[in-house]
Amino acid sequence: MNKNRRFAIGASIIVAAVAYLVYTGIRETSVYYLTIDEFLSRREAVAGEGLRVAGRVAADSMRWNPSTLDLRFRLANFQGSGGVDVTYNGVLPDMFAEGRDVIVEGTYARDGMFRARTLLTSCPSKYEAEVPKS
Amino acid sequence: MIELGVLALRLALAGAIYAAIAATVGARLRRSDVVGSSRAAAYVVQALVVLAAAVLLRALLQHDFSLEYVAAYSSSTLPTQYTVAALWGGQQGSLLFWVLILTSMSSLVHLQNRHRNEALMPYVTTTLMTTAVFFLGLLVFVTDPFQRLPVAAREGADLNPLLQNYWMMIHPPSLYLGYVGCSVPFAFAIAALASGRLGDVWIRTTRRWTLFAWFFLTVGNLLGARWAYEVLGWGGYWAWDPVENAAFMPWLACTAFLHSVMIQEKRDMLKMWNMVLVLLTFTLTIFGTFLTRSGVVSSVHSFTQSGLGPFFIGFLVTVITVSVTLLVVRRPLLRSDNEIDSFLSREAAFLFNNLLLVGIAFATFWGTVFPVISEAVRGIKITVGPPFFNKVNAPLGLALLFMTGVGPVIAWRRASARNLRRSFTTPLAMGFAAGVVLFALGVRHYYAIISFSLAGFVLTTISLEFYRGTRARQALMGEPPATALAHLVNKNRRRYGGYIVHVGVVMAFIGIAASSAFRIEEQRTMRSGESIEVGGYTLTYKGLRHTDTPHVASMLAEMEVARGDRVIATMFPEKRFYKRQQQPTTEVALRMTWREDLYLVLGSYDDQSGLMTLQVFINPLVVWIWLGGILMVLGTVIVVMPTAAEQRALAAALAVEERGLAAWSQ
Repeated sequence: MNKNRRFAIGASIIVAAVAYLVYTGIRETSVYYLTIDEFLSRREAVAGEGLRVAGRVAADSMRWNPSTLDLRFRLANFQGSGGVDVTYNGVLPDMFAEGRDVIVEGTYARDGMFRARTLLTSCPSKYEAEVPKS
Repeated sequence: MIELGVLALRLALAGAIYAAIAATVGARLRRSDVVGSSRAAAYVVQALVVLAAAVLLRALLQHDFSLEYVAAYSSSTLPTQYTVAALWGGQQGSLLFWVLILTSMSSLVHLQNRHRNEALMPYVTTTLMTTAVFFLGLLVFVTDPFQRLPVAAREGADLNPLLQNYWMMIHPPSLYLGYVGCSVPFAFAIAALASGRLGDVWIRTTRRWTLFAWFFLTVGNLLGARWAYEVLGWGGYWAWDPVENAAFMPWLACTAFLHSVMIQEKRDMLKMWNMVLVLLTFTLTIFGTFLTRSGVVSSVHSFTQSGLGPFFIGFLVTVITVSVTLLVVRRPLLRSDNEIDSFLSREAAFLFNNLLLVGIAFATFWGTVFPVISEAVRGIKITVGPPFFNKVNAPLGLALLFMTGVGPVIAWRRASARNLRRSFTTPLAMGFAAGVVLFALGVRHYYAIISFSLAGFVLTTISLEFYRGTRARQALMGEPPATALAHLVNKNRRRYGGYIVHVGVVMAFIGIAASSAFRIEEQRTMRSGESIEVGGYTLTYKGLRHTDTPHVASMLAEMEVARGDRVIATMFPEKRFYKRQQQPTTEVALRMTWREDLYLVLGSYDDQSGLMTLQVFINPLVVWIWLGGILMVLGTVIVVMPTAAEQRALAAALAVEERGLAAWSQ
């Protein structure tokens, strides 16, 4: 066999390994990324799957117990209507509050409860600050 | 004053356009006066950009809140050092800062090459100035740093509290130096392609620039990791966030390029591949800026939502089109007469190292853009998180670690059985022994065992190199061991500096493996006076304390840390409230030792009852990552220092080029 062909085979083994790792990695670790409205319209279909849902913490919906670190709140759409109940256990991110835009990561069960493993806060004013009106 | 800045940017744009066109036209028409004017224009462009940056900096320092930028990213109570950092803290400023570095490097390149590389330099000017035109165009037409507010604000909104941090002051400049540094080798590569002078002159001329860029990319990545570790307060240093990946991918491509270039220098092979890598590196720096600036991929620290995306896409498409076209046209000139003789050779080892680095870059790229692609193709946004990147990149990274041990010591062309035995018997035995010892000690985390075995293997190959080299000098020159070692490194700076960089890489690997495999995490809500035991530490909560300044108010939890009966430290995890931004931030309390970090986060608290939730992380060997980084820095500095032999090689290559040029113009 000529040398170049032998190298092509050696190189394609590495390329194939990378491709295989990427393929299985995506299959095993990917989660759906939905807005709350997309989620609400197909919640039965995605029950039990890994999900990331973006929405807003509804006003007056937050129940937080600092000693057990249990949190319950309603994740509503950006108009503040509709929504799904979310439970979470752990320390709250700095910017988590009612009315804030958040992303919850976890699974939805058919009992109507979204169990979040992670809460991500996305703050629109993080880098691109709003200028105060004088 | 502000008008001066506006004017300077407009003139700089006009100057850059002129320089970009005049350089290439002048070269084509062989009009040295036109080429000379383009060089002068490039210097003027730099002066104008410096002026514009100075005007913006002055506005920041004088708290001129009639400027939108100043009002958005600073305040009258912001400490001076962060007011300076606000220059690159926001979008317009960071783009201006980018052009400032780019045009300064351009001037330096023109100065270095004023008497040489006459055939290449016009195209270098065109490439650098075209890049400057893109960024200056954004600043003049799209996102103006000197935008005035309709009514001047009374007070600024302040710099994002997360950026009011020591590491954040030096991380962006470092990363930008790395990013922009990559455009110099890129410009020379394009110049080599455009002029058809594809000998190794462009590579030897830009070697130090490439190392410079690589150095700052490395430092920038490490500082970013350090910042994330100390400021974001989730207990880790790397989250595979799109913004982090944006900085990591050019580093990978640049690392691959630094290695494969050696094959071209020694064996005149892989010319095409080197071109591809240098073009890829530059493209990834622009892509990285696009990722952080466009907000196209939502990110945990999704910093921006702006309309810059389409412009960046346009520029990327242009860069890729021009590069690929030139590559295709010049393909016949990029052929090499040599080929790889054997799998067991340094050439093959370097090639595999390259494929692994590019493979990691590809996997990282794919994971980063996957949400966008899946939405475009399937209509559903699917994201992948850290599990994906860890799962894919960990095995590739370990394979790369193995190659770090093989590449530098295996023989060129074809390794003999004797060479293999001599180079690898002891290291393999040591690596194997390290694994066995860990297993015997009860470690059952297989990734960690493999990592430490490989680390042992690589460290032994490097130690043997130093040991054998020193012994040989001792025998030959009759020098004492320390002198022999110093001379050994000094006479072969590239080689032994490179080994020192590799030791740093191995240390970083050790730190990453240990801290991901053996991290301890605990959280507890505590009453004043209560204690918890975590990982051999007894942590006693002594109560809350409050501090207040006009700029920031803080709540601190006093934690007494004991090992056994002995109190070893008092730590103060903290929550801060930056008053202008009305947003709490976490300040981690960190106790570093070479064995492990004790990392405390104040999760939440209740002022009245004194109840407090504490998060405790124990991260083993994290310090090794930073120490590894310092070694990488040190090693690179040794490599970069010029040697006489290298100067001779460059001079010889240039002389060949000049003779060719003389013959050609006759």
